[in-house]
Amino acid sequence: MTILSHTMRLTLAAALLGTTAAAGLAEDYTITVWSGGTGDSANYRIDNIKLAAEQMMREAEIRGDELSITIEGQSWSGWDEFKQAVTLAAESGDAPDIIVSGHEDLGPWSQAGILRPVEDWVYFDQWPLNDIYPNLIDVATYNGVVWGIPQDAEARVMFWNKDAFRAIGWSDADIDALPQRVIDGDYTLYNMLDDVYAMQEVEAVAPGQGFMPRPSNGPDYWQFYQSFGGEMTDAETGKLLLDTEALTGFYQFFADAVAKGVVSESYLGGNWDDWHRAVAGLTSGAWHGGSWHYAQWTRSFEMENFFDNVQFTLIPAGDENGRANSITHPLVYLMGAGNTEDEAQIAADLISIASEPRLNAMHAVKSGHLAISEAEVSVPLYAEDRWLTEASEGFLPYVNAIPNDADFGTYWTAMYKGLENAWTGTMSVEDAVETVKADVTSALGDKIIVK
Amino acid sequence: MNMRALTDGAREGAATAVPSSPVPPAVTQPPRRRGKPRGKPRVSLLGLAMLAPSLLLLCAFFFAPAIFTGVFAFTNMSTSTGIGKGDWMVTPTLLRQLRDAGLSEADEQAISAATYVVDAEHIARAEAGGVDGRFLSDIEGRLAGQTYDNARDFERDLRALPSKPRSARALKGAADHFASSVLNRRYATEAAFAAALTGVAPGLSPETLSLVTERAYTGAVFTVENFVTLATRRDTLRIVGNTFLYVGLTLGFNVAIGLFLALSTFYLPKRVGSVFSALWLLPRITPVVLYATLWQWFTWENGFIYILADTLGLPTYNYMKAGVTSAWTIMILSNGFVGASFGMILFSGALRAIPVQQLWASEVDGASRLQQIRRIILPQLRWPVLFVTAYQTLSLLSSYELIWLTTDGGPGTTTTVWALDAFKTALWAYSGEFKYGLGAAMALILVVVGLTLSIAYLILFKFDDLVGRPKIEF
Repeated sequence: MTILSHTMRLTLAAALLGTTAAAGLAEDYTITVWSGGTGDSANYRIDNIKLAAEQMMREAEIRGDELSITIEGQSWSGWDEFKQAVTLAAESGDAPDIIVSGHEDLGPWSQAGILRPVEDWVYFDQWPLNDIYPNLIDVATYNGVVWGIPQDAEARVMFWNKDAFRAIGWSDADIDALPQRVIDGDYTLYNMLDDVYAMQEVEAVAPGQGFMPRPSNGPDYWQFYQSFGGEMTDAETGKLLLDTEALTGFYQFFADAVAKGVVSESYLGGNWDDWHRAVAGLTSGAWHGGSWHYAQWTRSFEMENFFDNVQFTLIPAGDENGRANSITHPLVYLMGAGNTEDEAQIAADLISIASEPRLNAMHAVKSGHLAISEAEVSVPLYAEDRWLTEASEGFLPYVNAIPNDADFGTYWTAMYKGLENAWTGTMSVEDAVETVKADVTSALGDKIIVK
Repeated sequence: MNMRALTDGAREGAATAVPSSPVPPAVTQPPRRRGKPRGKPRVSLLGLAMLAPSLLLLCAFFFAPAIFTGVFAFTNMSTSTGIGKGDWMVTPTLLRQLRDAGLSEADEQAISAATYVVDAEHIARAEAGGVDGRFLSDIEGRLAGQTYDNARDFERDLRALPSKPRSARALKGAADHFASSVLNRRYATEAAFAAALTGVAPGLSPETLSLVTERAYTGAVFTVENFVTLATRRDTLRIVGNTFLYVGLTLGFNVAIGLFLALSTFYLPKRVGSVFSALWLLPRITPVVLYATLWQWFTWENGFIYILADTLGLPTYNYMKAGVTSAWTIMILSNGFVGASFGMILFSGALRAIPVQQLWASEVDGASRLQQIRRIILPQLRWPVLFVTAYQTLSLLSSYELIWLTTDGGPGTTTTVWALDAFKTALWAYSGEFKYGLGAAMALILVVVGLTLSIAYLILFKFDDLVGRPKIEF
């Protein structure tokens, strides 16, 4: 071996070692983000994570670290397929690093061990997490553990066609007074049935479309249970609670709506686009949806002059036992288990940064969701949005969330099946309620109180 | 075909159609014995090797899933329990449930106690656990002898130390080494859990220990509860009724239309018949998602039927989603057309196997088309009709994908059939609560019904005769 070749070998070895060392120093991470119930206008659920990654890499560069983060985002517009995908992926050891889902998944997913508790990875008394509304942190808590970081908030409310009201003799002052009358319990769901029926009679709205509820399952339907005095959990024991009287009132209301001809018996299961087109086109007298629908109607369904044409209120009380109410269904950033500790730490840092007011405000304004923190309300982009400001002030004081409970899904599925049975006339209201009672008692035993 | 040829053919046909011709059968050997041949059966290794891949596939994609379904059916497996093995964990929710099951308040408090003690033993534990030395010496120097009854206070003090780690995870991980608590912690084995539980609550009686350990398991357990639920729940009967109605009506449609298509294309000039056959194959060869989308365009608002009905002044609505009768009609038609083309192919094949001379002969005898069908064709299509009926029954019983993509079991649950309900129970729920065990039990029942029907059809078919040796030798 010549001296030259020996030198060359050494040089080559040094170069190889150097490359390896450099590769070892540079930290490369690929973080997967899966987001459910995410339509076109909610892209910032994932895009904010990408912006957070950009921020983290710049901060690392300032510290003199080499950090490279690649975000692989995937969104599902529906919930069923998303929850199936997350659950099965997690069970096969391939859970995404960050999951954007409804807070009600904390119960079953934490019990199944497919989540990491976010509180182990971040400080909730540090910016920006210390500015998030405490009630939203409570919503992200199960069994005393904070499992997720709230991603957004919302209100689910009743919308009213102002022109149709005028057509049945309401003055603008009457229409303006409606939100307060609903809050006071002075205007109930049955008043609504009478009025939308009258709207149909004077042909201000299409026949059979006086009332256009949400066409598919959703937390929204629990609002009508609450309208008749129902509570989902027992305040004293914290157990799930089935109030048969309230459930009867709730089912009876929809059966009555069908009988009155303001909604058809085969309405449930309809097509979402048809629904959006109808309500955005003001062919209905009253409909209920979410605060985020405003963004969809104005951006995708050519709805103009929303505030001139539409009044919005809480969901009215159904009877003297119930109350006007609204359910918020915050999505939360969750951390999937099964990745390395380093990846989990990156994921935790990313979702913290993504919760900063300016970033979250972009999601809120574009998608029509409400702020998660005090400071976000002051971000000009958010503060200048009339809808979000009015919705935050008008509804947030009254909203509540569905409970975090590993068994709530069973109760929910039974509730909706019962509603379908009563609505379509497959069963009488009494039989539908009895079926729900039998189903939840058989499945949950003493984990649910039936009264 | 000219008259001469028809007449000649008819003669030939007549000769073929009459087996009792005076010509004696060409029997030259005594009939062979039925049953097993004598001696050791010959096993060809090559044959086995050729079969191996299909056996493997059969095991992987048929037997294994069927066995899993059978096992899952007897568990309470769901999203909450997870699919694999569970852990042991005590949560506040579990403690609340245990109180209902008779756990005393003192025991509950003992189990839920969480203490953080900074002493030599825990410092050694933290050191062994890899906690940073400088941080540990800070803890020892400033917090030695302290006891905390919750994590937050302890973590607050740790964060005040000068050498605290930057990441929250490192600090909380260090705090964990000083904890004596079982609350919200997962233990992979029963022994580890029992040891930890006895550590924090040494005064628990063996019965309480056993109760807590049993209830703390997060995984699935074996049970027959799924079958009890299915037998007692109110929906069962209606869904079974829906299933029977769906299978019965669709089957009737399949067979009748399949037969009609086969017969009509048989009598059409060959080229025209082929075109029609190809057209009717479209529902079968179109991917199911596209086929469902076509039906949506056809029946939804502003679709073909909608516009047609609107023009004629008939009621207009989303026929697939918003009317019980129309949803049922669409469910049967959409599934029926797929099955009809299957029947058509089989019946057409069987029709071509009927010696045409029989038809010629019947024409000579003055038989009409209907008489030909009734007296000659249908009797010879008995086996294909039975086969299509049997096959389609089993296929319809277990198929749900087209219903899912079209009516989705609605309006409400009015078009929900057993297979769709099983799928939704196990794998498709808005609330995210997938009941794998209950869904598997429903699938298992479907398998049992399918097997029973298969055996019944085999008897009805006289399968032994069908596969038996021919009674005459060739």
